[in-house]
Amino acid sequence: MRYFSKNSISNRRLAVCLLAVISVSVSGCNEDDKQSVSGRNWDLVWSDEFDGAAGELPDASKWGFDLGNNGGWGNQELENYTNDPENVSLDGNGNLVITAIKAGNSYTSARIKTQTLFSQKYGRFEARLKTPYGPGIWPAFWMLGANVGEVGWPQCGEIDIMELKGQQPNIIHGTVHGPGYSAGGAISSSYALQNSRFDLEYHVFAVEWSENKIDFFCDDFLYKRITKSDVPGQWVYDHDFYMILNIAVGGNYAGFPTSQTPFPQKMIVDYVKVYQ
Amino acid sequence: MKSNFKTLLAAPLLLCIIALAVFGCENDPDDFEPASYSKNPEVFIDTFSSGLIYSSYGGAVADAFQVDTDVTYNNSAASMRFDVPNVNDPSGSYAGGSFYTSVGRDLTKYDALTFWAKSSVAATIDVVGFGNDFGDNKYQASITGLQISTAWRKYIIPIPDAAKLTAEKGMFFISEGPENGNGYTFWVDEVKFEKLGTITPQQPQIFNGQDVVQTSYAGVTTTIDGLVCAFNMPNGINQIVNVTPAYFTFTSSNQSVATVNEQGIVTTVGAGTAVITATVGGVDVLGSLTINSAGTYVHAPTPTQNPSNVISIFSDAYQNVPVNYYNGFWEPYQTTQSADFAVNGDNVLNYTNFNFVGIEFSSPTVDATGMSHMHLDLYIPNALPPGSNFKVGLVDFGADGAFGGGNDTNFTLTFTAPTLISQNWVSLNIPLANFTGLANRAHLGQIILEGANITNFYADNIYFYNDGSVIPPVPTAAAPTPSYPASDVISIFSDAYTNVAGSNLNPNWGQLTVVSQVPIAGNNTLKYAGLNYQGLQLASGLDVSSKNFLHLDYYSANSSALNVYLISTGPVEKLQSLTVPTTSGWNSIDIPLSSFAPVNLTDVIQLKFDGNGDIYLDNILFRN
Repeated sequence: MRYFSKNSISNRRLAVCLLAVISVSVSGCNEDDKQSVSGRNWDLVWSDEFDGAAGELPDASKWGFDLGNNGGWGNQELENYTNDPENVSLDGNGNLVITAIKAGNSYTSARIKTQTLFSQKYGRFEARLKTPYGPGIWPAFWMLGANVGEVGWPQCGEIDIMELKGQQPNIIHGTVHGPGYSAGGAISSSYALQNSRFDLEYHVFAVEWSENKIDFFCDDFLYKRITKSDVPGQWVYDHDFYMILNIAVGGNYAGFPTSQTPFPQKMIVDYVKVYQ
Repeated sequence: MKSNFKTLLAAPLLLCIIALAVFGCENDPDDFEPASYSKNPEVFIDTFSSGLIYSSYGGAVADAFQVDTDVTYNNSAASMRFDVPNVNDPSGSYAGGSFYTSVGRDLTKYDALTFWAKSSVAATIDVVGFGNDFGDNKYQASITGLQISTAWRKYIIPIPDAAKLTAEKGMFFISEGPENGNGYTFWVDEVKFEKLGTITPQQPQIFNGQDVVQTSYAGVTTTIDGLVCAFNMPNGINQIVNVTPAYFTFTSSNQSVATVNEQGIVTTVGAGTAVITATVGGVDVLGSLTINSAGTYVHAPTPTQNPSNVISIFSDAYQNVPVNYYNGFWEPYQTTQSADFAVNGDNVLNYTNFNFVGIEFSSPTVDATGMSHMHLDLYIPNALPPGSNFKVGLVDFGADGAFGGGNDTNFTLTFTAPTLISQNWVSLNIPLANFTGLANRAHLGQIILEGANITNFYADNIYFYNDGSVIPPVPTAAAPTPSYPASDVISIFSDAYTNVAGSNLNPNWGQLTVVSQVPIAGNNTLKYAGLNYQGLQLASGLDVSSKNFLHLDYYSANSSALNVYLISTGPVEKLQSLTVPTTSGWNSIDIPLSSFAPVNLTDVIQLKFDGNGDIYLDNILFRN
């Protein structure tokens, strides 16, 4: 996700720049692959297990809402975000469900965020979820610099922990946007499942972020490491970020829904956890 | 029309590999393992896989399928080529056939049939799938309207529930007709079953996902339709797969009310409520059927009319005429749905959510001129609210026999309580003459039923019949031969007696009537067509004073007025009116001559008729 706009990811550049480092990660979907990532002891500092009764809105002490369409959120997105339980509510089984709904030629969905409620610099940020799917469906678990209101985007920095284009339901993308490398120039990598897709089972999407690097994980598999030296512009990841979960419909990144896009579409989130 | 292809074209190396694979999976008599079926996923890679047989379908071009070594996917050794014929090709109208094995294969670990295909022109393949084994085709699955292009692309047919395919013989089938009348060629290659993992099953459906509620009776059978299995494909788009009912496991919540078999046929067996649901591969299906059974069905009264006097629109008692439809679903105002059922062979029309409905029988239209009544049995299962009415309309399409054209006429009759009652069969026998707005009923095309406050009714035994009151326009039998002694008779017009000489049967009095003598069943008969008035001039004054009666045999199917006159010199005339139409066929009448006073019976010079219609006359005579 990006705060304003972005046209495409730069897989090609990625392949050139990062081949040596993460060549195994791009096709890192073979279960037989072994990977040793240096262990670290994380302390849980914030979490939401989404326990609660079916139909309840997410915990107001942890999540706020972005509402409306906001001019397509800078990406020509089509959805109108609501805080209606039919778009965002707990399912009573320990999950948060964000539902994108088609009504005639318009779409409603939801976008929740921890802005002003929780933000943190560095640490492990993870969510366990199942994605929605279908052409033009664009789910995301992502973060924005908490100083976005002061310095704007992309100066505030953006870390996309998980994005997916619904027409490619077996591929997720991890991306950072900063000054000089935002939108189409963002630094990004992909992780694909060869014999499954991300809506069929829960997967854990995470970043481990420290002073000099951001590591992108899917199910504890490190598929991308971005270090200070990897970004062509300023490293803007040394301040607090807050988290966002949403399903966008349409827009420049995933393209637009077609008559064949199945609706409604649900993102089912088991938990979100933040470690220090 | 079978043509078997054996593994003639196999490259030796490949043959070895396949042979090993097959032998490794099939029964070995020395092996103590239980028998198992081959798990070979390959259907056609570069040749026929082991045990694969091809047969073309009836009506298809027998040699439309060939193994092609020129055009192949990825420069492999061979592909399957299908030459779709042009329209009107004498050798067949389409390309189609099935690839199957004589011994089943275990496909339970796969989730899709995949293949690569390209075509000489962009085209849409009518149907392609698997599970067609020239047997029961029990687990058939297919995609209709598969769009292919001139570039090789991979296509996927998801398996609705692989657990069912423990011994599947139908490996691949395809059927395709000309595109816009034109033949073309397409190639298929690398046909195999795979475990893709990148297909997300959507919730299967019965009744297209609707919860259907039906009123039913013991003996009624209902077929579960609207079976939908859809899958979200690797590109995020849903693909509907046509499936056979065997992929579904149907369950009745109450076996004493309704049972359901493997084919999805629900049979109501008793009174009460049962809900029919289904699963596919253990996943609950969207949609259901609720049977509300009242138990024993009360059949409509069995019709008793002689079939020769009936034109039947809907009845199991008679041969029905061709009917275009029993529910025209006339948009936009009609709400009526049809939920017709059959109870032990008794078919019943069941109109639900009723406001009005049209039944059309216009190919050809019905000539009911020989019919006297319309019959309709009606059963209203719910209580009749005050103000309920039921309307029966007839539409005659006119001489053009087609709807519209400016010559249609129609008329509607309304029925209310106490004729209408609920929870009982109401047999309406409606005289067709009551449909007074019909110009005629020679080209009836529609029955329109309309109602107020009747949301649901059953209809049965809709037919036109003749209770005998409508006679043919031309008599089929001769007038009865009189048996009076000749000595008692002075005959004017009869084959039974010697007629008085010199009568003029058609004097020109300026009448419009067309007079002729026609044989009716071999008997000479006097016919007045289009009567207004008509004279009969005797040769001279006739003295009939010794006789007591004027005897006449007359016949008319369409007259509504007929009088007979005796005239004596003066002229002095007196009429007697005759009953028409002659609903029992020939009408023999003896009119006392005294009733013709003051006509001078010693000097009768003329007879005269007036009235209308077509009249047949015979045995005009004076007798004692």
